[in-house]
Order: sequence, then C-alpha cells, then structure tokens
Amino acid sequence: MSPQPQAAVGAPLSRVDGRLKVTGQAKYTADHDIDGVVHAVIVDSSVARGRITGIDTRAADAQPGVLGLISHLDKPALAYRDNPGAWLDPRSGERLHVFQDDKVRFLGQPVAVVVARTLEAAQHAADLVKVSYDAEKPSTDMSASGVPENDPLPPQNYVRGNPEDALASAVVKLEGTYRLTRNHHNALEPHATIARWDGEKLTVWDKTQWTVGARDELAAVFGMSAENVRVISPFVGGAFGNGLRTWPHTTIAALAARQIRRPVKLVLTREQLYYGVGYRPAYEYGLRLGSTRGGRVTAALHRIRAETSSYEHYVEGVMNPGQMLYATPHVRQAYRTVPLDVNTPTFMRGPGWSSAAFAIESAMDELAHETGIDPIELRLRNEPQEDPVNGLPWSTRRLTECLRTGARAFGWHRRNPKPRSRRDGDWLIGMGMASGIYDTLRMQSEARVRLDADGTALVQASTSDMGPGTYTSVTQLAADALGLTMRTVRFELGDSTFPPSPPHGGSQTMAGVGSAVQDGCDKLRQEAIKLAVEDERSPLHGVDADDIVVRGGRLHVKSNPARGETYRQLLARNSRTHLETRGTFTPSGDDRYSMNAYSVTFAEVAVDRRLGLVRMRRMLGVYDVGRIISPKLADSQALGAMVGGVGQALLEHTATDHRDGRIVNANLADYLVPVNADIPDIKAIYLDGEDLHADPIGVKGLGEIVKVGVAPAIANAVFNATGRRVRDLPITAEALL
Amino acid sequence: MSIEPPESTVSPSEGYSEGYSEGSSSAPSRRTFIATTAVGSAVVAGGLIGGPSVFGVEPADAATQAPPTSSVSVTVNGERRTVTVDNRTSLLDLLRERMGLTGSKKGCNAGACGACTVLVDGQRVNSCLTLAVRLDGAEVTTIEGLAKGERLHPLQQAFIDQDAFQCGFCTSGQIMSGVGCIKEGHTGSPEEIREFMSGNICRCGCYVKIVRAVEQTAHGK
Repeated sequence: MSPQPQAAVGAPLSRVDGRLKVTGQAKYTADHDIDGVVHAVIVDSSVARGRITGIDTRAADAQPGVLGLISHLDKPALAYRDNPGAWLDPRSGERLHVFQDDKVRFLGQPVAVVVARTLEAAQHAADLVKVSYDAEKPSTDMSASGVPENDPLPPQNYVRGNPEDALASAVVKLEGTYRLTRNHHNALEPHATIARWDGEKLTVWDKTQWTVGARDELAAVFGMSAENVRVISPFVGGAFGNGLRTWPHTTIAALAARQIRRPVKLVLTREQLYYGVGYRPAYEYGLRLGSTRGGRVTAALHRIRAETSSYEHYVEGVMNPGQMLYATPHVRQAYRTVPLDVNTPTFMRGPGWSSAAFAIESAMDELAHETGIDPIELRLRNEPQEDPVNGLPWSTRRLTECLRTGARAFGWHRRNPKPRSRRDGDWLIGMGMASGIYDTLRMQSEARVRLDADGTALVQASTSDMGPGTYTSVTQLAADALGLTMRTVRFELGDSTFPPSPPHGGSQTMAGVGSAVQDGCDKLRQEAIKLAVEDERSPLHGVDADDIVVRGGRLHVKSNPARGETYRQLLARNSRTHLETRGTFTPSGDDRYSMNAYSVTFAEVAVDRRLGLVRMRRMLGVYDVGRIISPKLADSQALGAMVGGVGQALLEHTATDHRDGRIVNANLADYLVPVNADIPDIKAIYLDGEDLHADPIGVKGLGEIVKVGVAPAIANAVFNATGRRVRDLPITAEALL
Repeated sequence: MSIEPPESTVSPSEGYSEGYSEGSSSAPSRRTFIATTAVGSAVVAGGLIGGPSVFGVEPADAATQAPPTSSVSVTVNGERRTVTVDNRTSLLDLLRERMGLTGSKKGCNAGACGACTVLVDGQRVNSCLTLAVRLDGAEVTTIEGLAKGERLHPLQQAFIDQDAFQCGFCTSGQIMSGVGCIKEGHTGSPEEIREFMSGNICRCGCYVKIVRAVEQTAHGK
C-alpha cells in the first residue's frame, strides 16, 4: 500500500477536546447528571489497627433525608471472586474487602457508608456515626526498629558478576543511603463513582484509567458476569497512576446503590484520597559504588526497602534502572517490602524507576565530584553498548545524543564544577543534571473504526485520557491514516463496551491503542480503495490499489490527483451506509531487542545562603521517546512532569504521626505541591526519530520517562550551588541551614 | 486499649437555628475538636461554633427537625434565580448539585486548590468556602457564563492556543481566576502573573503555559 501523506501527525495541533474543557462542559465522573441520584459519604476508621467493637448509627439514621447506612454489621453479601485479570494488583496478599469483618488495617479504612437524599445530609449524618474500637498500637514507621523482621516475604534479589570482590578492589568507593518520602498523586479530580443498577445490570461512572479492568473487578467483587457491568469514564481529571486499580470506594458506591435501590454518587474527600487510592511508597535506598579513577563504575550494590500494607505486598520496577542504565559489570540488588499498618501503595508516574533514579543519579553526581570528572562525561564513559541484563541490542538508545544536545542547549559549559562558586546577591547558583530510563510497554489493544456515508469517521477504544491528550493524538493518527481532516474524525474512549484497551498507564497508550487505531484505519482505507478499483463506475476503476492515496476524504491516484473521487461518492454509489473495521495490535513478542525510552533533565537552582530556600531558575528536559505524534501535547506532558519533579524534590512530603498512624497533612494546604510561583520557564526537546521495533507507529511512550531523573537533577543542582549533598527528599530549608 | 468516640456532638437543628451561644456548656473540648474535625467537612466547622451541646439528648430528639433552610435570590451568569437552600450548602454545591452547573470543580473543598473559583460581584472567590445563604442579591459568574454564545472569551481561546491544560479539571478555576487577575491588573510581568495565579493548583503542571495564556489575553497578543 502507498504510504499516506502525513498532515496531522507531527503537527502542533491544539486539543480536540479543548473547547469542552475551557467551557466547563467536559463531564468528569461527579459531573454526570444521573436521574434520581442520591449521595453517599464514607465513614473512615479513626484508628490504624484493631477491631471495631460497636457502631452507633442512631443519630445518623434519624437525620432527615438519610436513606440508609451500611457497615460490616449488615454483613453485605459480596463475592470477592479471584480476578486473575487484575494484573496490576499486587501478586501477593489480598485486596481490601469492604465491610466484611471488624478488623481495622489502617487509619482511614472505610468502616461504614451513609446514604442520604442530599450531600449535606449525608455529610452530616456520616459525622454522627459513632464507631468504637478495640485499638492496638499501629506500626507505620518504616525506619523504626523491629521492621522488616516481620516481613513474610523473601527479598527480591538480582546479582551479576562478583560485586563484593569488585567493590573491595575498586580504587574509588562511595556509599550512601537515599530516602524518599511517600508521595501522594493528588490529582485535582477526587476519585468519584456513580453507580446505578438496572435489574441485574450495573452501570458505573468511575474515575478510572482502565475501564475494562474496573468492569472485571466489579464483576469479580459482586460475583456477576462482566457482560452485566458497564464502566463509563469519558474524562479523567488527572490520575498519575492511582486510577489503575479499582479501589474500595467504587465497590462501596455500587453496594450502596444495590442496597438503597437508587443510583448513588460517592465522591472521596481530599483527605480520604490519602487513605483510599494509593501513593508512591517511601523508600530507603542504600547504594555502594566502586569505580576506577577514570570513572568507570565496576561495582554497584543496591539495598532497597519500601513500605507496603499489611494485607498486600506492592512491588514495582525499582530494580531495573540499577541493572541497565549503566554498563556496570558487577551488580547486586536486594529489594524488600516492609509491611505496615497503612493502606497499599500503588503506581505513581515513573513508578519505581524514578525512585531508583534519585539514588543512582545522585550517586553518579557524587562520583563525578569525587573523581573530578564532568557529570556528563562520567555518564558517557559508562554508556552500555547493549542491555547488560540480557546482552540484547537496544532497539534504539540515544541517551548519548540526549546528553550532548542538552548540554549545548542548557549551556552546561557555564557550570563551575566547584560547588558554591557562583552567586547572585544572597543566592547561591548551581546547575545539575540526571539521566533517566523507562521501559517501553506494549500490550494487546483493539479499536473499532467506522466510516459513514457522510464522509466522517468514528473511532472507538475503551482507553482513557487522564490528561496526556489521547483524544487528540489518536484523532491525529486516524485522520492521516483515513485521509480525513481532523474535523471529520471523532474518537470516543472511556467506555468498557468499546473494544478493549490495556491500562492507560505505564506510557503504553499510544503504542497499543494508537497502533490498533492505525491498523483499523489502514484496513478501512484499503477496503474503500478496493471497493473503488473494482467498481466499474469509479474513476479509479482498474487502478493498482497500491497507487492510491486518500487526502481530505478523497481517494485519488498518487501521481495524478485529478483522477479520483470522495468517500461520500464511493459509498453513495455503492449504497453503503458505512464501512467498518476492527483494528488490532499484538506486541510482536520480539525478544531480540531491549526497548526503552531515555531522558536527561537539567536544572539550575538558586539557594538563599542564609535561609536555605531553594528556588528553581531554569529547567530543560531532552528525550529519546521515538516518534512524537502530537508535539504540542508532548511538550505539555514534559513540562508538567518537570513541575511534578520539583514537587518531589523540594516540596512533597507525607507526614504521618506514628503514634496513631494519622497523616497530619492530608490536605492540599499542608501537603505542598508546586504552585505557579514555584515554576520558572522550563523547556523540553524531543529528539526527532522513531522506533519501529517497538510498534508500527514508532513510539516508545513518554508519560513516565519525562518524570524519571527530574528530582536528582534538582538535588545535584542544589549540591553544585551549596556544596551540601542532601540524600533525603524532599530537600527542605532545614537540610540546607 | 479501647477508644470511645466523644459523646458530645452538636445537634444540627439546634446548632443551626440558634447560632453560637457564648458561655454555654458547648465549648468543644480538645477531644471533641479532634474527633469532629477528623472528617474535615464544612458541616463540622459549622457545628463547632454552632451552639448548645446536645450532650445527654437522645439521638432521636436531635433529628426531629429538618435542617434550616433559607431563600436566596442570586444572579448566576446573568439569570436571576431564587432558590431555597439548606443553610449548610456551599455556593459550589449549589451550582453543581442544584443548578446543574458542573463546570466549577470540587478539588479540595477547603479553599486550597482553586478549582472552584468563580466571580462573585466581579471578585474571584473560592465557591467551596462561600455559603450560599450569604449571597442574596449577588451576581455570580461561572465558567459556563464566560463565552458569548459560540464565541469564546479571549482567555478561554488563549488556554486552547497555549495548551494551558492537560486533564482540564483545574481549568475552569484557572480561567475564572485568570479573568479576575487580568481585571485586577496583576499582569505587569510573568512574575506578577505567577504570584497572582498561585491560588490555583494545576497538578498536571501547566503553569508556564497558563502564564502565557494570561499574558496573551491581558496584552491582547
């Protein structure tokens, strides 16, 4: 087939859903107007460990407008079948079962739900529910003595070479323990669910990154057929990973709707989000490096500990960067989880990889300082020629190019390697950088493509758009592949009845959904071309199908644009109301290559020498992520990730009172996230290219990689400014005084 | 160890109808305060200053009265409406749950994120912190009232042009706040815009482009 002209893909187009979003018309979960809906409010446990001894609901029940109250005392029947499809759930442990027993596993655990006609009545009644507990002292501090001796799981281990011997014989040795505090996603949209039963059928409007995953989990929890569950989620107000699993509140809303026999809306409060939908776990990352005088890292020993809950053992890809970012011949890693009386952590942007990058890239900066080698030169000297884990060639790895491009664009040569040597009044100025890696995920995806007689197309997939712009970028792909304008293609997503999509996370949406849409559109275009060349009444009759392209809805001979006809003419003449195809993408299972995306982040900070305040001055990210479908939106994603990285590096810190397990800053006033005044002008550069080993459209995923390496770049800039090496995140003024 | 909930809570009916009575036995103990604020809703905050304790009153008695309501006339996006509201209702909940204007968002319900920003008599306010009963006679403009028919407000268009949003959840509040910021004249420099747009959190991190959009609109670029 003849390649289609590229008009939309690669063009800096604005969002197709932009108008809906700037006029307040985009419908997020809690915005859906469902007839007869009533309101549910969850009552949370106020202790972190123990048993519920009593629930006094008299005052709540007596409130005007209250329709019902459910707790474990009602013994609500829930099947909680195994759900083998929930591959994002921790492999070990069991998900929280709501209202099935009197056991309290963490503070903030749902212990009851109140349903009332109005939100005000439900909120007030929830306050009136009196719960008494037989409480025990909780364990919520990962660094306290006694843990992880209670860890029932053996650590995950990795070893290559002879790391202890290599370290012992290394000329240069470094050792450090890096601590990352817990981070909460804090997407602006709180998780919300509206549930409605129509007989045996359950419809759920839910904030989710995986509509078909939510459908299957609800089916498993309620012991019903997945065909009877529909999950709708057209707009997601940010998620960053915590919409991947189906959390207890979704079950609670559906349970309440079943019990009350009315549609129920349940929106978590900001505080409840800290206990209800996961977080990036706190880490202690011990790292020992051995190196030659010339900066070749010979040995790396990683000792990694991360918090998890008492009922699920959450693990993530924190071991990978230490195995493949550099060509280290001798590596040992041990990674263990520490079960605490907390809710279960979950994926958060760049999960694991970005936590590891803080330790590894800080240590590399320390090694650069120790050996007197420029940090960029140090990384070039440790660049692996192949994947050190399995010896596979890289599909594409242009980290070196990222380093050189970024150094030029950022003016790296102006950095003085001697810390505390540049000033601007009372401000100490420093520059830092860090590299990043994230693997390219690809999963089976499907899409439906329909071309109507009026010459417009409808594309559907069950995926989500939590902000990256799936609506727009998929429309760009489809428009080019069908030979239509952007305005004549509509892409619908966020409905579990649409063709199945993998989780909208791990930067895999374009690779999977995009490739399936490309496939469906290619098939449809070819079907239309076949129809034309076989149609005696078509001006294209008898032309070789491979010589035909479609542009602006018109099929024509590539070398002779005058000879052709429109989709509309073709369909009308053939009395076809529409053409429809199903696109699929199945990953090649190609294990001949190691596929990853790469980043280098640069940061310039100013630190007040007397107050220890850190202010960002400039940032730059340079990325090798394969092909860029939608450059305007890709730029926004990268800038946003750098902003998120500023939060992780300088502001975000979940403070738990370990006496009772309560998070004392479970709100947006005290859990600090970056605001506008914290952010300077920042820039992103994507290397032009594609990776066709990864998928047919050549993308490697970009939502995660743009986050990996941001925090260490900032920490390294703080060191360059102050001479102070801070190994604990966030870097606050106290650490610099 | 057994932890009992506090026995002392405030009756909604009495609390709302009688208001704060000084020197009554209702002064919240520290224990009550911690227990009740744990849920963190505006309702509880109202209850704290709300009046006499119902300590000793049977729960059934506390519920015999419906919560007090008020009639409020408010002009929303140019349309005058008179509604009877539960006195506990915030402007945000009035807009979202009663008037079907869901463009204003509830991000934190505590005035910390700005997603609920609307204009009241031309001033930007956090509608989640504004009780609807306070607004008799007020003029409210929400994101739904900004465009003139099909023609977008210049700041709405600038947000699209600059790609000043990703998920879009904070966008209504950002735009309403930006309209206020421009009206206040706090657009002299990017630094000034950053400062005066810092009451609106964008977790997707679109700040650079939000500043550009406000700048573009303020200076007619």
